[in-house]
Amino acid sequence: MDLTFNAEAATGHGAETLSLTGASSEQAIAMLLILALPLAGFLLTGLLGRRMGERPWIIAIAAILIATGIGTMLALGALSSEEPVRYGFTLYTWIPAGDLQVEFGFLFDNLTAAMMIVVTWIGSMVHIYSIGYMAHDDAKWRFFSYLNLFMFSMLLLIMADSLLVIFAAWELVGLSSYLLIGFWYKRRAPKLAAKKSFLVNRVADQSFLIGIMGVFLLTGTMNVLDSFVGFASSAEPWVRDLVALLLFVGAAGKSAQFPFHVWLPDAMEGPTPVSALIHAATMVNAGVYFIARTSPIFASAPETMVLVAAIGTFTAILAASIALTQKDIKRVLAYSTLSQLGYMFAALGVGAFVAAIFHLMAHGFTKGLLFLGSGSVIHAVSGEQDMNRMGALWRKIPITHWTFLIAALSLAGIPPLAAFFSKDSVLGESFILGFTWVFVIGAIVAAMTGFYMFRLMGKTFYGKSHVDPGVEPAIHESPRSMTVPLLLLAIPTIFLGMVIGLPLGDSTILHWLEPIFLPAEELLAIQFPEYELFGVDGALIIVSVAVAALGIGVGIWLFGIFNSRARLETVESLTDRNRVSRFFYTASQNKWYFDDLNHLVFYRFGGKVANGVMWFDVKVVDGVVNGVGTITQSVGDNIRHIQTGHVQNYALGIALGLVGMAALFMLMAR
Amino acid sequence: MSQSLEAYLVLSVLLFGIGTFGFLAKRNAIAMLMSIELMLNAVNLSIIAFGAFTPELAAQASTIALFVIAVAAGEATVGLAIVIAIYRIRRTPLVDEYASMKE
Amino acid sequence: MGLPETVPYLDWRWDDLVFLALAGVMLGSALLVVLGRDVIRSALWLILSFAGLAGIYGLLGSPFLAISQVLVYIGAIAVLILFAVMITSTKRGPARLVFQRQWWVGAIAAVLLVGLMITAILLTDWPHNGQVYAAQVRDIALTLFDDYIFAFEVLGVLLLAAIIGGLYLARRDEEDHV
Repeated sequence: MDLTFNAEAATGHGAETLSLTGASSEQAIAMLLILALPLAGFLLTGLLGRRMGERPWIIAIAAILIATGIGTMLALGALSSEEPVRYGFTLYTWIPAGDLQVEFGFLFDNLTAAMMIVVTWIGSMVHIYSIGYMAHDDAKWRFFSYLNLFMFSMLLLIMADSLLVIFAAWELVGLSSYLLIGFWYKRRAPKLAAKKSFLVNRVADQSFLIGIMGVFLLTGTMNVLDSFVGFASSAEPWVRDLVALLLFVGAAGKSAQFPFHVWLPDAMEGPTPVSALIHAATMVNAGVYFIARTSPIFASAPETMVLVAAIGTFTAILAASIALTQKDIKRVLAYSTLSQLGYMFAALGVGAFVAAIFHLMAHGFTKGLLFLGSGSVIHAVSGEQDMNRMGALWRKIPITHWTFLIAALSLAGIPPLAAFFSKDSVLGESFILGFTWVFVIGAIVAAMTGFYMFRLMGKTFYGKSHVDPGVEPAIHESPRSMTVPLLLLAIPTIFLGMVIGLPLGDSTILHWLEPIFLPAEELLAIQFPEYELFGVDGALIIVSVAVAALGIGVGIWLFGIFNSRARLETVESLTDRNRVSRFFYTASQNKWYFDDLNHLVFYRFGGKVANGVMWFDVKVVDGVVNGVGTITQSVGDNIRHIQTGHVQNYALGIALGLVGMAALFMLMAR
Repeated sequence: MSQSLEAYLVLSVLLFGIGTFGFLAKRNAIAMLMSIELMLNAVNLSIIAFGAFTPELAAQASTIALFVIAVAAGEATVGLAIVIAIYRIRRTPLVDEYASMKE
Repeated sequence: MGLPETVPYLDWRWDDLVFLALAGVMLGSALLVVLGRDVIRSALWLILSFAGLAGIYGLLGSPFLAISQVLVYIGAIAVLILFAVMITSTKRGPARLVFQRQWWVGAIAAVLLVGLMITAILLTDWPHNGQVYAAQVRDIALTLFDDYIFAFEVLGVLLLAAIIGGLYLARRDEEDHV
C-alpha cells in the first residue's frame, strides 16, 4: 500500500478538527513565565555571572526548576483533561505589514505538553548534572547562561504558534547549540565542530525559510493552525510537494538526517551535558516536532511523505552501521541518536505520527540518560573517551553502570522498558500501514542497536581493564549532583513506556495525541485496523524483541558481560577475514567517507568553482568597480577645495541655501 | 505700533538677522555662541508675539518659550564646554584656525 | 496730575514709546555684540540686549517669561559666557581682525534673509484685532505640567545630560598639568 491523498478530506475538511480556544489569563501568565524565567536566567547569569563567584549556577538552576514546575503543571493539566485541549493567545502583532501579519502568539495542546515534559525535565536534570560536571571549569557562568538561552529558545520553539516565530526559535536553538559546542573555544576541535554544525544547519535553514515563504504564498498566513486550512487545496500537487520538501530539508538539517547528518557526531566535542540535552534529547528532535506540528501540510504532500520515510530509514541503517565500529564512546551514542532519529522520521513518513512522538519522548529520556552516564564514565577515567582504554569499570562506578545498563536495554528494545514500547509501535505501525520495507530495515537496525549498545557496554564496563595505569587508582564514582540526575532519569526510562504505552493498541499516548493528528490522518485516509495482540500485532512484537535479543546476544557473546571473558580475537578475525569484511569494517569506521565526500565536493571542487568566480570577481567586477572608483576619486580631487574645514564656510552655505529656498517658496506661493 | 503683531515680528526678524550675521562673520568661537543666543532670543520673541495675539495659544506659547530657554541653557553649557576643551588643545579661541577637518 | 494721554509733541501712545525704546536698546546692543572688537564688551552688551527683550516680554503681557528671561539668560547663560571668555582670552589674540574674510558674504546673506522675511510678514494678512492677551501663570503651569508633562520630564533628562556632558568635556585631564 502506498500513501494516497484523500482529496475529499482536503476540500471538505473532515469532521472534527481540534478548535483553538483562548487561553485563560492564568494559562497565559504561566506560558509567559515558562519563557521569561530562562530568558531572565540567561541575561542575569550572562551579565552578572562573572561576579557571582563559585556558584554562578544558582539563578540559572532556580529559573529552570521553577519553569519546569510550571511547565509540568500546564502539561499535566492539558493531558489529564477529558476533552483534548488546545488553547493559545497572542502577545502582540510582531510584523504588521499589509497582507503579512505575523502575530507573536503561543499555543498549548497535547503535543506541546508532551514536548514540554521532555524538554523541561531533561533540561533540569542536565542543569543539575552540570554543577558536578563543570565544577572544575573557570567559565561556569558562561556555560549556565548558554544553557538557559537554549532552554528559552527550545521552549519558545514548542509553544510558538506562528511559522516565523518557530523559525526565529529554530535559529536561536541553532545559535545556542553553536555556542555550547564551541564552549571550549580555546581548543581547535570544538571550534571547528561548532562552525561545522552552524554551517550545515544554515544550509538547511535556508531551505526551511523558503519553505515557510512557500506556505505563506499558498495560504496567506504565517499562523501554523490557520495555514492548514487552505494548504491542502491551495495549489498543484507538485507545488505542495515542493513546499513540504523544502520544510523537510530544514527539519532534516536540525535533526541531522542524511545528508545533513555529518554535523551531529562532531558536535560531541562540546561538554557532555550539552550532548545529552541538545544533541540527543531536545534540539535534534525539533525537526520531528516540526513535522508533527505541521502534519496536515505534509499529509497534503504524499510524495514528500514517502521521501521522509525513505530518508529516515536510510539514516537509521547508515548511522547504525557506523555506530558498530566507532571507538569513541560519545560517538557511538551520537550515531545511535542519528539512527533513532531516523526511526522517528520513518514513522512520520509512513503516517504513524503518534508513534514518532512516542519514540521521541522515550528516546529523549533514554538517550539523555545514556549521555549523562557516558559523561560520568568519562569523568571517572579523567577525560578519556576512547572505549579501548576503558573496561572493567562496572564495580568501580556502580550507579553509573546500573543506570547505563537500564538505558542500554531500553534503547535496544527490551520489554518492558520505555524505548521498547515506542520502537515497537514505530515498527508495528509501519508494517500495518503497508510499508514492509521500512519494517524490515527497521528490524535490522534494531538488531544492530542491540549489538552496538552491548559492544559499548562490554568495552566500557566489563572484561579486562585497559585504563591507563596512571589513571587507574583515581577512578571514582561521580559526585551526587551527577548521580542523582542519572537515578532520576532512570525512572522514566523504566516506567514511561508502561505508563503511557499501555494498554497496547489503546494506549494513553494514543488518546493524548490522536486528536492532534486526526486532520493529517484524514488527509492521508489512514485507517488503523483493530489491534490484535494475538494476531499480527503480537507477532510483530515477538519479531522486534527477537531481533533485539539477537543483536544483544551477539554483542554479549563477542564483548562479554559482567565477569565473563570477551572474545576480542574472534572480533578481530571476523573483521579481518577477507577483503569484503575488511572493506566494510574500514568504511564503517570512516563513516562511509561522507566527510571526505563533502570535502571533495565542497572544498576541492567547490574551491575550483569559487576560484573561477573569484577570477571573474577580480577582473570584471572589480575592474568596473575600481574604474568607477577612479573616476569618482579624480572628480573628488578636483572639487575637494570646496572643503575648507572652516565651520563658518559651511554655515554660510546653509544661510545662503535658506535664503534661496525661502525666496523660491515665496515665488511659488505667489 | 505696540498693538500690532507685525511690529514684533519685524523686530524678531531684525534680531535674527543680527544674530545670523554675527554667526557668519565673527572669528571668536564664544562670539559665535553669543550670536546663536541672539537668534534663539529672536525665535522666542516671535513665539511669544504669536501667543500674545492669539488668545487660545497664549499659555502654550509661553510653555514652548520656556522649553526653548531651557534647551538654550543646555546648549550654552555644552557649547562653551566644547570651546574650552578645544581651546586647551589649540590654544586659540579663533574658529578659522581650527582647520583640521580640511581634507 | 497724571500723564497726558499721549506723548507730548509726538502724539504717540506711551506704550508705543516704551516699545520703541526697548526695541532700540535691544537691537542696538545686539548690533554692538556682533560689531564690537572686544569679546568681554560683547558679552556685556549681550546682557543689555537680553534685558531689553525681557522688557518687551513684559510689554507683551508675559511678566512670568520676562522674569525667566532675566533669571536664565542674564543670571546663568551670560555669566557662563563671561567665564568662558575669561578662560579663553589670550593676550596674543589679534584684536583687530574680529571678522572672517567672508564677513561681507555673511552680511549679504543676513540682509537678504531679513528682507525676505519682512516681505513675507508684511504680505501676510494676520488675523488679529490688535489686542494683547496676557498669559496667566496658572494657565502656563497647567499646560506645562499637564499637556507637556512628558516633554518636561525629557527636558529634565536633557539638562542633566548637558551638565554631565559639559563637565566631562571641560574637565582638565591629568596630563594637562605636566
